[in-house]
Amino acid sequence: MIVELPNSTTAEISRRIDQLHKERGESAQSRVLTLLISTDEDHLEDVVETANTASREHPCRVIALVAHPEISESRLDAQVRFGADAGAGEVIVLRPTNGLTRHLDTLVIPLLVPDSPIVAWWPGKAPENLAEDPIGRMATSRVTDAMESPNPEALFTALRANWSPRDTDMSWTSLTVWRGVLASMLDQPPYLPVESVVVRGGNRLCVDLVASWLAVALKAPTRIERTEQDTLIGVYFHREDGVTSLERGEDTTAIISQPGQAEQRISLPRRSMVECLSEELRRLDPDEEYAEVITHGWKMVDHY
Amino acid sequence: MPDFTNPLRNPHDLRLPRIAGPCSLVIFGVTGDLAKKKLLPAVYDLTNRGLLPAGFALIGFGRRDWTDEHFTNYVEECVRARCRTPFNEATFAQLASGLRFVSGAFDDAAAFTRLSDTVSELDRDRGTRGNHAFYMSVPPSAFPVVSRQLAASGLAKSPEGAWRRVIIEKPFGHDLASAQELDRVVSEVFDPNSVFRIDHYLGKETVQNLLALRFANMMFEPVWNANYVDHVQITMAEDFGIGSRAGYFDGIGIARDVIQNHLLQLFALTAMEEPVSFSAADLAAEKTKVLSAVRLPKDLSHHTARGQYAGGWQGSEKVVGYLEEHGVDPKSTTETYAAIRLDVDTRRWAGVPFYLRTGKRLGKRVSEIAVMFKRAPHLPFESTATRELGSNAVVIRVQPDEGVTLRFGAKVPGTAMEVRDVNMDFSYGSSFTEASPEAYERLILDVLLGDPPLFPTTKEVELSWRILDPIEEYWSTLGQPQQYRAGTWGPAEADEMLAADGRAWRLP
Repeated sequence: MIVELPNSTTAEISRRIDQLHKERGESAQSRVLTLLISTDEDHLEDVVETANTASREHPCRVIALVAHPEISESRLDAQVRFGADAGAGEVIVLRPTNGLTRHLDTLVIPLLVPDSPIVAWWPGKAPENLAEDPIGRMATSRVTDAMESPNPEALFTALRANWSPRDTDMSWTSLTVWRGVLASMLDQPPYLPVESVVVRGGNRLCVDLVASWLAVALKAPTRIERTEQDTLIGVYFHREDGVTSLERGEDTTAIISQPGQAEQRISLPRRSMVECLSEELRRLDPDEEYAEVITHGWKMVDHY
Repeated sequence: MPDFTNPLRNPHDLRLPRIAGPCSLVIFGVTGDLAKKKLLPAVYDLTNRGLLPAGFALIGFGRRDWTDEHFTNYVEECVRARCRTPFNEATFAQLASGLRFVSGAFDDAAAFTRLSDTVSELDRDRGTRGNHAFYMSVPPSAFPVVSRQLAASGLAKSPEGAWRRVIIEKPFGHDLASAQELDRVVSEVFDPNSVFRIDHYLGKETVQNLLALRFANMMFEPVWNANYVDHVQITMAEDFGIGSRAGYFDGIGIARDVIQNHLLQLFALTAMEEPVSFSAADLAAEKTKVLSAVRLPKDLSHHTARGQYAGGWQGSEKVVGYLEEHGVDPKSTTETYAAIRLDVDTRRWAGVPFYLRTGKRLGKRVSEIAVMFKRAPHLPFESTATRELGSNAVVIRVQPDEGVTLRFGAKVPGTAMEVRDVNMDFSYGSSFTEASPEAYERLILDVLLGDPPLFPTTKEVELSWRILDPIEEYWSTLGQPQQYRAGTWGPAEADEMLAADGRAWRLP
């Protein structure tokens, strides 16, 4: 169910939500967090869909902000989505225009779930300094997806320069499964130190991040080899006994090779946006490993 | 291995998943109900979540004359029917390449030689590296023969740097002596640290949440003692009968089937002191302590009750009585309902009885732990104002509708002061995931990782039998258990047992 509230006020929106809750016999108290999404009209439906699916694991109130500073008249159009048009919570779409777009924080404050964490998500374009952004400032955790922004490289350079402990990027989240497998490879004998590492992949942020992570965690020289393919292709650990590697195979499998052992195949599907967002919502504390990677690890690798 | 720390595993890196190392899982009794409904789907879901290692292999051992292809089809059928995560062809193909079937009977030494060959083949070609877990999804009577065969074929011992683990399901014997005998048989073959006893209740999120509720919060633990708690009721009720389990159930009874493991484990987690850490050893230490502090009622005739379901209407369905069930001795004295009172001799619980009850064909399917508080020592209201006020309660709902309920008094709206009970509800389904992992997923992964906190130890099993044995002994001197109508909350005897203490069972 979608309720349109054109030219509305935040008071009217929250009254309407309470009323809908009462009519539907639901309690609004079980929402565990508020997810604030800053997006644009082109991406709105996709990201709301993603948030709805993720909300089945973490029931939340989703507030999607689509700012229209270009419209000269100051007004707030809103939409409240419930039931089949929302996940396990409710979705509020806010379309502020003109002057209203300059203080987005006070626009959402009356609509937040009381006394619960706030996650801010920029699925595309993002401000260069998250912690100073009005929305970012009130968030418990701030998630960007620089790869999806118009200029990934410039944005990520700025994000790194202005980084603060509650910021993460989805490119890092997308690596969790790969990182898990890489760690499990070193859980196995022979327990030889890694002497150097090669990471092969295209010009994508996740390639740089995995290399930075390995460089800082293994304290071994790490080199990136850029490939034509636009993704992470493989990671090669050079050790005394030879090369142990994890390589992307055809479709969703990957191959682990180790000297003296049979090749092993493992199912390693690409992580969906829903999985990444769910992971972000699962852990709301600052990610210390990511901090280490982008403050120290990044400088240990040549990102040509 | 001991002084090696993986540089990629930083304790601060909270995202990194725990993935089991290379290994295989051998399931005995793979065509049984448990494997079909729980184990095989759980293995698939683990694969789908990326938590099983590359080269993971699953070997089915059974009497059927199957090839690997038959077995693969069978697994696919089971997985498609019951998997929790979406069925993905590529993931299944990945799992299927590691499926093997070994056909044979448990007393057939040649079959175990074939199993041993299969295991070696997997070590060589799939890289399982000598790590193998044996899941005994078979009746306990088959344990000794399977264990001996595993020992004789050399499968029970692992080469240097590898592991062998054995997983056994309840029942862990039918009394103390048989439990010790079973333990002797298994530990003759396997190192005691490699024996994992599965009590699937301990894999449930709500049971683990009990630890979070008690030890992560400030507001529960201060009142979790005899100063405030009047008594505790632990219930596990089933709405179905024995089904096709007559052969196993008749002569064993529900107390041995449920109280000895599930209910006493729930009891231990509810009553234990705060563990030093959540490591297996520290957790077991506290559970063992509280189980050893249990005192049985002096007069078992007053403080235990048993019953047998009679025919009748279970809700809207006509059902037969226990004695008319197919395969049950018509003169059977086996109980299908049991309730007992336990006291705990510790400062925390002095004078607080714990009532444990379980039964088949009861009003509905429900498991819960209800901590019932004392009434306020003084009520500054007109006595009529609080006539309808019961006692406060914290109820941990284990299944279904997992969650926690708080019950307290609130003013009834109106001009007069009248206080009545209201409920405040936390439900897992609405605050967290709608699709939480199955208990078996968690437990199988824990076995493959060698992480034992959620598995009861031998000592706990023995202490549980020490609690139950005298009661069973007393019951064996009695005749027929009292009959109760199917679809009700048990025999009159059980109600009288609480009434004698001035209390009543909750209606869950």
